[in-house]
Amino acid sequence: MFMCNSRVTGSISAGVAAVFLFANAPLPAQETPFDLHNSISIDIPSDSPIVQAGTKTGESPPRATPRGGAMVVDLHMGLSFRNVSGKPIRGVTLLVTAQEVTPGGKASVAVPSLDIAPGQVFPIRIDLRLLRPLQMGSGPLVHVSVDGVLFDNFEFYGPDRLNSRRSMTAWEMEAERDRRYFKTVLSSAGPEGLRREMLDSLNRQSERPRIDVRVSRGRATTAAAAPEVAQFAFLKLPDSPVEPMDGWAEIAGNEARAPHIQVRNRSPRSVRYVEIGWIVKDREGHEFLAGSVPAADSDMLLPPGQTGRVLQDTALRFSRNAGEPVAIASMTGFVSQVEFSDGKVWVPNRPREDARLLRLLAPSPEEQRLVDIYRNKGIGALIEELKKF
Amino acid sequence: MARHPSEASLALFAGGELGPFRKWRIERHVAACADCGREVSEFSALRSEIAAADGTPELDWKRMAGELRANIRLGLEAGACIEKEVFPIRFSPWTLAACASLVLLVAAILLERPAPRVADAKPQEAAVLEASGMGIQIKEGEQALMLLNPRARGVSVNYSAGGSAMRARYVDPDTHYVTINDVYVQ
Repeated sequence: MFMCNSRVTGSISAGVAAVFLFANAPLPAQETPFDLHNSISIDIPSDSPIVQAGTKTGESPPRATPRGGAMVVDLHMGLSFRNVSGKPIRGVTLLVTAQEVTPGGKASVAVPSLDIAPGQVFPIRIDLRLLRPLQMGSGPLVHVSVDGVLFDNFEFYGPDRLNSRRSMTAWEMEAERDRRYFKTVLSSAGPEGLRREMLDSLNRQSERPRIDVRVSRGRATTAAAAPEVAQFAFLKLPDSPVEPMDGWAEIAGNEARAPHIQVRNRSPRSVRYVEIGWIVKDREGHEFLAGSVPAADSDMLLPPGQTGRVLQDTALRFSRNAGEPVAIASMTGFVSQVEFSDGKVWVPNRPREDARLLRLLAPSPEEQRLVDIYRNKGIGALIEELKKF
Repeated sequence: MARHPSEASLALFAGGELGPFRKWRIERHVAACADCGREVSEFSALRSEIAAADGTPELDWKRMAGELRANIRLGLEAGACIEKEVFPIRFSPWTLAACASLVLLVAAILLERPAPRVADAKPQEAAVLEASGMGIQIKEGEQALMLLNPRARGVSVNYSAGGSAMRARYVDPDTHYVTINDVYVQ
């Protein structure tokens, strides 16, 4: 396995290392040799608090497999970075683009809930697949760059094209909230109480209702049913700085389009972003978390006491069991995130009392990580992890 | 839940290429297993994408061969007719070469006559975001960018949609870090 240990700044290419690896890997007959040279570019600015410390391709070498008139390209990269800042890092978001393959789209890989000390090296894996025509231009297929780095004091570095600052701040606030909660459980109910919490979380994760969602922009759809306007009901969270007032979306069979939600800022600070969690009930009475309705960034600056609208020009189509449509009967919304104009972020308390929310919501990234530590290393390792913070 | 079928079996199932007994067994499993159901729909989607991307037009080779033969015969008969009746003098080599070129040109036009490639004629589809058991993807027409979660499956992956993004969140079993993948449509 190849590992590049040299400190790298500026624009670099991982292709060279990957080509070296790939040249030595046996190829199945149907796979054509894939020249990775210059196929991936990793751009890290010279003032970045992280620098690339190496590249591994893992157990799966890069592959390009022709299928019909298309080419399927699989890339599995284990990138490692070094924290060259003087502060502990809590989260990193990498922007991944493939302009020739999806000119209108982009992707990101984020790693929250980190505790990376200055000088420490840490890995980030990127596993991706491209489906593209056989004939395409030369040049890098995939560009990877840093979109944001969040430090333990909530300072932020990066171009923030994907609003990673807000996302990573919210994840870190949820992490602090959940660690605080589990520490309280540990001090009040001991290791056995903490174990029960972990088992409850595992059970909730396995029983959480799931649904397949497909998202498209705009209103042009192929839904057969005529659309009807359906009203949102709202869950009121007492400590939320923003209150949902009224809302609706167009429903056509298993598709919900163009949600509009009226909100009022009841806090003393101006609000610049609101996100509404979206619960959908099907005609059999099953509820599931369909997603969220984030405010379009440029649309909102909500002074104290003022009302504004959260809207999205998207269509969500729901299905389960490999494509069986899920007809929508009703919808419920709740405020799931608020960002103030000073960059501070509000997240809801742990929904301990609300069994409905507890059943529907996914655990926070930090709860997911702590449960994983408990599952793999036991209650002792979990207690040690909680003591680090 | 019984043991999951292999990826190869699911792929064959998606393509309708299994025998009746294996088809019945996997059909039963897929009906009860959301993960395998997602994989089957993924394979089905990939098959249709590839079929669409191939774009080779259907050619009626028999008919084309018949037309080609008829045109060559017509050219030869026309040449014979011209030689006997219209021009008392013999053709020069240049005239013969021109006639042969004409016949070749007709043949070439016939061979290249098929309809324009399907891929060129199809309107570009709008970009969509989708989740499957393998990961999340942005798809534009016949092209796609997918972020995979190859080592984390089932209940350990949380998928969500928000605005113009699709998200998959899981704990990477190698790094033990929570990994949050997003794809965005503009």
